[in-house]
Amino acid sequence: MSETKHHSPHLIAVLWARFTWRHWCRSPRSSLLLAAILALGVAALFSVRLANRAAVSGFQMFSENLTGGSDLVVRSPSGRLPESDLRQLREKLGTLPVGLFPVLETTAALISAKDLKNGGDDISDANADAPLLQLTGVDFVALRNAYYLEPESSKSAVIAPEENAPGQSLGDARLAFIAPALAERLNSDVGDSIQVAINDQIVTIAVGGILSADRSRPQPPENLLLFDLPGLQNLLQRGGELSRVEVRVAEGHDRDRMLEEVTQKVRSLADDRQWLIETPDDRAASSQAMTAAFRLNLTVLSTLALLVGWYLILQALEAAVVRRRQEIAILRSLGVNAAQIRRAWMIEALALGVIGTAFGLLLGWVAAQFTVGNIAKTVSALYYQTTTTAAGWHWGEMFFAATFGIGASLFAGWLPARDAGSTPPVQGLCDGRQDEAQRSVLQRPFTGAGLIFAGALLIQAPPWLNAAGNKIPLAGYLAALFWLVGLSLLASALFRPLACLLTKFRNRPAMVYAGSQLRHPSGRHRLTAAGLVVAIGMAAGMGILVHSFEKTLTGWIGDLLKADLYVAPAGVGSAASQAVLSEATWQTLSRDASVAGIDSIRRYPISFEGRPTILAGSEYARDERSLRMNWREAPDDRDPLALEARGADDRVLAWISESFSIRFDKHRGDQIEVPTPAGPQSLVIDGVYVDYHNESGTLLLNRKFTSRWFGNDQAVNNIAVFLKPEADPDVVRARWSSQYPALVIRTNRRLREEALRVFHQTFAVTHALEAIGIAVAVTGLGLTLASLMVERRRQITTLKQLGMARAQIARATAIESLGLAGVGTVVGLILSIGLGYILIFVVNRQSFGWTLQFHVPLASMAGLALLTLATSIVVGYLVGRSGAHLKAEQQE
Amino acid sequence: MTQSTTNTSNSPALRVVGLGKSYGRRAILDSVEFEIGRGERVALMGPSGSGKSTLLNLIAGIDRVDSGEVVIDDQAVSKMDGDALCRLRREKVATVFQFFHLLPTLSVAENIEFPLLLLGLDEATRRERVADLVTEVQLENRVDAFPDQLSGGEMQRAAIARALAPRPSLILADEPTGNLDSVTGDAILDLLEKLSERHGIAMLLVTHSEEATRICGRTLDLHDGRLADRMAAQA
Repeated sequence: MSETKHHSPHLIAVLWARFTWRHWCRSPRSSLLLAAILALGVAALFSVRLANRAAVSGFQMFSENLTGGSDLVVRSPSGRLPESDLRQLREKLGTLPVGLFPVLETTAALISAKDLKNGGDDISDANADAPLLQLTGVDFVALRNAYYLEPESSKSAVIAPEENAPGQSLGDARLAFIAPALAERLNSDVGDSIQVAINDQIVTIAVGGILSADRSRPQPPENLLLFDLPGLQNLLQRGGELSRVEVRVAEGHDRDRMLEEVTQKVRSLADDRQWLIETPDDRAASSQAMTAAFRLNLTVLSTLALLVGWYLILQALEAAVVRRRQEIAILRSLGVNAAQIRRAWMIEALALGVIGTAFGLLLGWVAAQFTVGNIAKTVSALYYQTTTTAAGWHWGEMFFAATFGIGASLFAGWLPARDAGSTPPVQGLCDGRQDEAQRSVLQRPFTGAGLIFAGALLIQAPPWLNAAGNKIPLAGYLAALFWLVGLSLLASALFRPLACLLTKFRNRPAMVYAGSQLRHPSGRHRLTAAGLVVAIGMAAGMGILVHSFEKTLTGWIGDLLKADLYVAPAGVGSAASQAVLSEATWQTLSRDASVAGIDSIRRYPISFEGRPTILAGSEYARDERSLRMNWREAPDDRDPLALEARGADDRVLAWISESFSIRFDKHRGDQIEVPTPAGPQSLVIDGVYVDYHNESGTLLLNRKFTSRWFGNDQAVNNIAVFLKPEADPDVVRARWSSQYPALVIRTNRRLREEALRVFHQTFAVTHALEAIGIAVAVTGLGLTLASLMVERRRQITTLKQLGMARAQIARATAIESLGLAGVGTVVGLILSIGLGYILIFVVNRQSFGWTLQFHVPLASMAGLALLTLATSIVVGYLVGRSGAHLKAEQQE
Repeated sequence: MTQSTTNTSNSPALRVVGLGKSYGRRAILDSVEFEIGRGERVALMGPSGSGKSTLLNLIAGIDRVDSGEVVIDDQAVSKMDGDALCRLRREKVATVFQFFHLLPTLSVAENIEFPLLLLGLDEATRRERVADLVTEVQLENRVDAFPDQLSGGEMQRAAIARALAPRPSLILADEPTGNLDSVTGDAILDLLEKLSERHGIAMLLVTHSEEATRICGRTLDLHDGRLADRMAAQA
């Protein structure tokens, strides 16, 4: 016994070198195909996660780079910090060696000189998608003085002391430093000028300098325009206003103690002033949390390809066990024990996993470079501005994907390894029989039914609340997994009725033979059907989600968009845009002779209960076409004009969006307080309305209240214009476009098209992942049939001896393939209904707070089914034709 | 598709003329010549590697000859295209294997019926013929059983019934008793002899067993791809 143990590693090496490796060399194509399938799965997962990470990490507070990394950030929950707070902060900190860096940030849209020259419709169209610029104002004097904080490491900052802030740039509102990438893109140099749309005005900015491209320093974002703080305040006409103050403690031996003292002092003041205090880690976590659901959904979807790849590896290794059963039996009879056989098979699975994963990681990195742009666009449109254009290599993500890939391969290898080890030598040595080990786990319909029942119970479970306060629908995902596995197990039950149906065609030898194969389905039949169930189920389930989303959104847009024209500042396509229409502009437009009335809205990003949300003030035209809402909890008076009045206890009435309601668990009748520059304000929730604008939620009030609380702010984010009956929207649009080149003016039809374009862009990656899943599943079907043909080579010889033509053998294989695909497709479509239900009513609702109407895309599901079935026939026929040439003695 | 009938002409059931076959440089068969008359049973013996299986494959049209000719019922096999070869195997030549080679997913009755399906016979004719054959091979009580539920002897009887079903003019029996115990093997030989006589079917019996040659009128010895004819005592 001890001798066996002693020789075991050597024996395993011999088994690998003389058996496994030689089998691979004899059939390199099938080994490579298997590794390629795993690589595809790993690549899908790795590329999506890399692209996700890159798109999300594109969000950062650039000013942290300027100061070399701040220790604390002071913000106001209302989003606006008075400059006077900076003085209070300085006084509170006294003589402590702390740098305070006030920052003002906003956005502007980059206007191309060509579009500006063309003017009219062209400029308005271009404005909608104009690249967003980040305008950052920092105090250059404070920045220069900051270097005493870290005298030995001035290279950590973007602007070195010797080059920063030339004297003439101080306080200049029209002079900015730009990032090297932007300079290169615009072919601009110092002294050149660039045109930007700030709010509703076109402004010419002179390039005062190009920021350092030194690789040893933090790289500025590509879209940065850096101003001296007073200059930007002047430019924006926001004197005395800051976005935040960054606090940095000087380097030194007692820095930690100092930081603790500073934090304590800042927090004590923050309690009085209602400030939000954040560390850079908090900010990073916050940006991650914002997109957590979006990224999780993509990650779950990208595991589809890996899951189907797992099925394929399981199938292929199991097929190899069957093919090599005789060899295994001979090895057993020669004294190789079951554990050694198992180990050899697990090493084969490991080797496949390592090779496939290595290729997959490279492929995934390349694919990420192509997908990152799409994901970044979606993140920019829905969450915040990100300028990422390339996905860097990330060791953590690599480890995650590699663990998944190799783990999947090992897990897939375990069942065949167990089979190989437990095969009695006598069975393998009996040359006349090729009994296949039956996958007992796939023959348990009661287990399948039990899983479906358990899934139904899990649907009822509440979401899991993560540390950032985000609701993650873990139980929903688990329920989806249970239904997926449960229905995969139940799929086998369809083989027998299908076989009975086929054998009804008693005069067709191909039907009879194919039917007989399905009447006695092998483990591989069951696995293939299960793989197809998973692929079709997930693809069609996502299809149901997307279709339901689209139908719901279309209906909602139809209810919402009643006006003739929609006017917004340039860059409106990005969620990060902070641009507004000045009072002068929107008032002028509203007084136009063609205009009957306008709806207007002003949105303020605020922090409510520690999480970002939107406080919106709106004003509505007294027009019968004006806003009509769909309600989750309807107010007594549904007319938006009702918001002008006050409720009980003189509280301001607010309507909240459904996502706000779900996110913060607030309902009609609840009383809440919101932060504003004028101090906390009491509101009473009067209704909960359906809204798909954003997932952070919206509090909607009458604009007269928000205007008062935000310093008599009369600017608005956009207006909806109702024209008089005789006015032609296209004519008015053309006229306004030439008068206001910094605006985006869209007709009703154009805005609807735009909304759907953004929607389709959001789901573009989803469709690509679905296609990969289906392609891998159909490849699996072909692989299964090919290995079945090899296994049945004796039968094929017999069939040929009996006079069956090759075309008949090919037809029989095509029918068998169609049967397999039919079972997979039917059960997959049933699964898709269940998954669609979970995605819509559990995952989507818990993640985003949106209730969608359930719509089944019958045409596209029928198309998917037909495509799968047609492909299965072609694959089956080709494999059958090629299999009909196999000779009895031919191996693999 | 026409139903196969026994040819009553005087021409031999099988004529092999100057047959040669090589794989690469290795000659497997060299100028093999012999005939089998209608209803005649001939044994073919030879050591392993002598070319017996290759000869059977060439006669059945599974493999192509390099030189010479195989003529079955006056039809030259080498001149046949794929369809004609299929027809040949459906109508004229049937094979009984050492390892039975029943289709594992078909029952006994379905296995016997399958060649008749390929012939395109109507269902009533198929049923009738299957019923006759299961009676002849004494498997009346096992018609619905699947191959993995049968003993070796039962499997070989089912395989013989399947071979007889299309009423071929020639049966190629490849070690039909090689995988059976002696008692069962004897019974199978008796059955083959009886059915061959009853239906007037010629048979080429490949065997290693001198005992098996008892049902054959003569024995051909194949050594290194060459044939030597010898007379064998009638059983």
